[in-house]
Amino acid sequence: MNKYKVTFYPDNKTVEVAKDTTILSAALACGVYIKSDCAGDGVCGRCKVIVKKGEVLTQPTGLISVDEKKKHIYLACATTIHSDVEVEVPPESRMELHSGFKGIYAESEEIESKNPLSSDKIFKHSPLSTKLYLQLPVPSLNDNISDLDRLFRAIRKAQGLPVMQTGLSNIRQLGELLRDSDWKVTVTLGKRNDTVEIVLVEPGDTSNKNFGICFDIGTTTISGQLVDLNSKKILGTKATYNKQASFGSDVITRIIYAHQDEGMERLHSAVTQTLNQMINELTVENNINLNDVTCIVCTGNTTMIHLLLKLDPAYIRREPYIPTANFLPVLRASEAGIIINPRGLLSCVPGVSSYVGGDTTSGVLSSCLYKEKNLSILIDIGTNGEIALGNEDFLVACAASAGPAFEGSGVRSGMRASSGAIQKVKIDPKNFQVSCSTIADTKPRGICGSGYIDLIAAMLDAGVIDRSGKIKLENHKRVRISETGKEFVVVFKEEADAAEDIIINEADIENLKRAKAAIYSATAILVKHMNFELQDVKKIFIAGGFGTSLDIDSAIKIGLLPELDRKKFVFIGNSALSGARQMLLSAQATKAAEEIARKITYFELSVDPGYMDEYMAALFFPHTDLNRFKRQGR
Amino acid sequence: MAWELMTEKWSGEVSTVTIGATKEEGGTRSHTLKIGGEKSLPCLFQEGNIPHEPKVAFEIWDIAPLDWPAELMLPYAETLRDPLEWANKCVRDYKAQGLCIRLQGAHPDFGDKSPEEEAKLIRKLLKEVSVPLIILGCGDDAKDNLLLPACSEAAKGERCLIGCAVQDNYKTIATSLLADGHNIIAESPIDINIAKQLNILISDMGLPLERIVMNPTIGALGYGLEYAYSIMERSRLAALSGDKTVASPFICFVAQESWRAKEAKNENSPEQGVIWEALTATALIQAGADLLIMRHPKAIQKVNQYIANLFGGK
Repeated sequence: MNKYKVTFYPDNKTVEVAKDTTILSAALACGVYIKSDCAGDGVCGRCKVIVKKGEVLTQPTGLISVDEKKKHIYLACATTIHSDVEVEVPPESRMELHSGFKGIYAESEEIESKNPLSSDKIFKHSPLSTKLYLQLPVPSLNDNISDLDRLFRAIRKAQGLPVMQTGLSNIRQLGELLRDSDWKVTVTLGKRNDTVEIVLVEPGDTSNKNFGICFDIGTTTISGQLVDLNSKKILGTKATYNKQASFGSDVITRIIYAHQDEGMERLHSAVTQTLNQMINELTVENNINLNDVTCIVCTGNTTMIHLLLKLDPAYIRREPYIPTANFLPVLRASEAGIIINPRGLLSCVPGVSSYVGGDTTSGVLSSCLYKEKNLSILIDIGTNGEIALGNEDFLVACAASAGPAFEGSGVRSGMRASSGAIQKVKIDPKNFQVSCSTIADTKPRGICGSGYIDLIAAMLDAGVIDRSGKIKLENHKRVRISETGKEFVVVFKEEADAAEDIIINEADIENLKRAKAAIYSATAILVKHMNFELQDVKKIFIAGGFGTSLDIDSAIKIGLLPELDRKKFVFIGNSALSGARQMLLSAQATKAAEEIARKITYFELSVDPGYMDEYMAALFFPHTDLNRFKRQGR
Repeated sequence: MAWELMTEKWSGEVSTVTIGATKEEGGTRSHTLKIGGEKSLPCLFQEGNIPHEPKVAFEIWDIAPLDWPAELMLPYAETLRDPLEWANKCVRDYKAQGLCIRLQGAHPDFGDKSPEEEAKLIRKLLKEVSVPLIILGCGDDAKDNLLLPACSEAAKGERCLIGCAVQDNYKTIATSLLADGHNIIAESPIDINIAKQLNILISDMGLPLERIVMNPTIGALGYGLEYAYSIMERSRLAALSGDKTVASPFICFVAQESWRAKEAKNENSPEQGVIWEALTATALIQAGADLLIMRHPKAIQKVNQYIANLFGGK
């Protein structure tokens, strides 16, 4: 078979591939990340590349214009290689150059929950795994029970624990280990649902070194937190983009991708690589031995958890939308490819259904929505937006596919909420001067979700854009027409910490408009479905990793949130991660999460005939029905 | 036993748009066309006032149409070559109450006439006939942005109805119509949300909602008429329920759609085209159409008769 060399610029990476391989596959094979929202179906048009040299064959597509054809621009996924070729990946199609990726592994700012019911305080401290230092009585002719029984006896005496088990490998080394350590050992006890397992036996006293990590595995962003399981102290928090993003931006394309050759393998290794790198960074920074990390709690939507555990997600997508598992037993982290203590545990937050996963459960847990007396709502704004409505008596939830825009992905100057991200924007309506503030007050590097919300509100106010999101300002140095359409310069590169101007274009605004429409219409439909009015909702928890703060007025101005009394809104940041941390630290929280997951009724939006109407009407700033946003009206 | 007819009480009403300005109003028209103002669904006279019956305007072109069926060309014959003569024939022979001129010849593919040339034609036309005027662009966004401001300027003070503004191209048109005192046609693709959004966008530019006429986009009988019907009905219900942003009267381009139907072009049965145009128009009147743009004098006569029958006896 013929083999050809493909060289990618500006990375200058070369790979040898067989004839008929697509440019997209070749790029992946040598670690060049090209954007592809549709995972190579040839329908999203994001993977445009320039073929500088060599022969290629391409399928006809409407996504490449005549002008682009002349410039030798092709869709990487629809173009196959027929000689040695040289390919230039333009900035629009690159994943690394995307300013968001500069923020990789940056410290993510924590938002203190202002919710008085802050659930951290209500659960008893009883971590998923505990360490216990034991000084065993030395065996004698009178006290001649076996080593293992001796160990069990000491543990029972110390903690009064019932059923116990342990692995053969622990027992094998026990005889020598106990004698070498002079009968002074530390046992790590893990809760595996209703039984307790001796995870590990170590010589000497290491009981002060016991750590756990919780993760929120989002479709676009993964955040992780290192916790000292003894003191409950948070030692570090990290967030980064999910490496799976190069295989499609939403869960459906990833499910489809999982069924391609090696698709599942690639998706699984992308997520475990991301997790392992984060674990590595967190432990190195805090000078912690990987062996002392004894447990992990993961939350995330159902598809993300399936891919983490290599469970086939295919049936999530097909009617009647059945996941392989919602409630998972406590597993060993190494079975999922997560590198901590080799015998360390992995617990996943229980999910509700195919499209409402553990992240909703942990959000409801940490926001204490399930303990509210009055009707309350939790809106988790992410790629897969989840909305839960209820109180102490009932819980109902739905999911809305919003796309990654609010997480700073799929938008030109977008970035994650990390230092340098613009999160507040003001525009002078007279001279269109932009003033903005960034996270950590550094020079701006890009715009995060809350920054986009503020920016669109400011552009509407100043008359830079009209209510449909088209840029109407003309003849101003900040407005220009580029190859991708009209754009507005937020910060010129001279004043920014970026290689190019920080801009927002009409396509970005369209993406953000669709995202806000999906969230708003799902909220409105869910409330309507339960025969309530939006005015009946007494408290609204806003969750999501799009910034350290959210301007509620701006969010209402653009129609992301319903127009209700500002005092009803509580911004709680990444509530899914907080919920996972609570499960890491308390068995009570785990029990509560299980109850919540059982209690939530799933509401499928796609079968509601009114959803599409609602969504279409929400594709306007703030909404086509101005009566719903009277204060934002004329 | 006495019985009472159940009636719906509506809180809103359709806005009234006046097309054409008489001498007293600063123009040169002999009369004006008032459309809209309904406080009930079509023909439900008991439920609310319907102050103005639907109006029909004759469609003429600035160039001789090439692809019109023979039956449709017949009544105008030689006058098709000259828009002024054509206009005259409509007013003089067929008693047109209003004229709608489509500036097809300005389209880059159909002659690419300059905005100045077309503006000159509008001036002449306003001198030639005294009925209220509706002016349509050529449908090419870039060209219309040059063409319509020029025509708007030429017809300043005559309170014409000019269009069409669409969601991706309304700013330039709205700005010039605002300055010259005209009404605007807001076109949406059989979509109540876009119709509403476009009305809001135009009124955000300063052109009041009371100067907007909506083109909901229609299909001919047998070609999606029912979609147009249900969209018109839905927006009218919203308007009557008090939503001002969709409370504009409807303009329907009846002839443009109905003469494209293959049934209308049947040469063995020339009358069928006339019937097709009239039937499409009458169905739309029942959906709430306020202004119908039609072509064949016989079809227009039938529709005017129908309007007189329906609305005359109120």
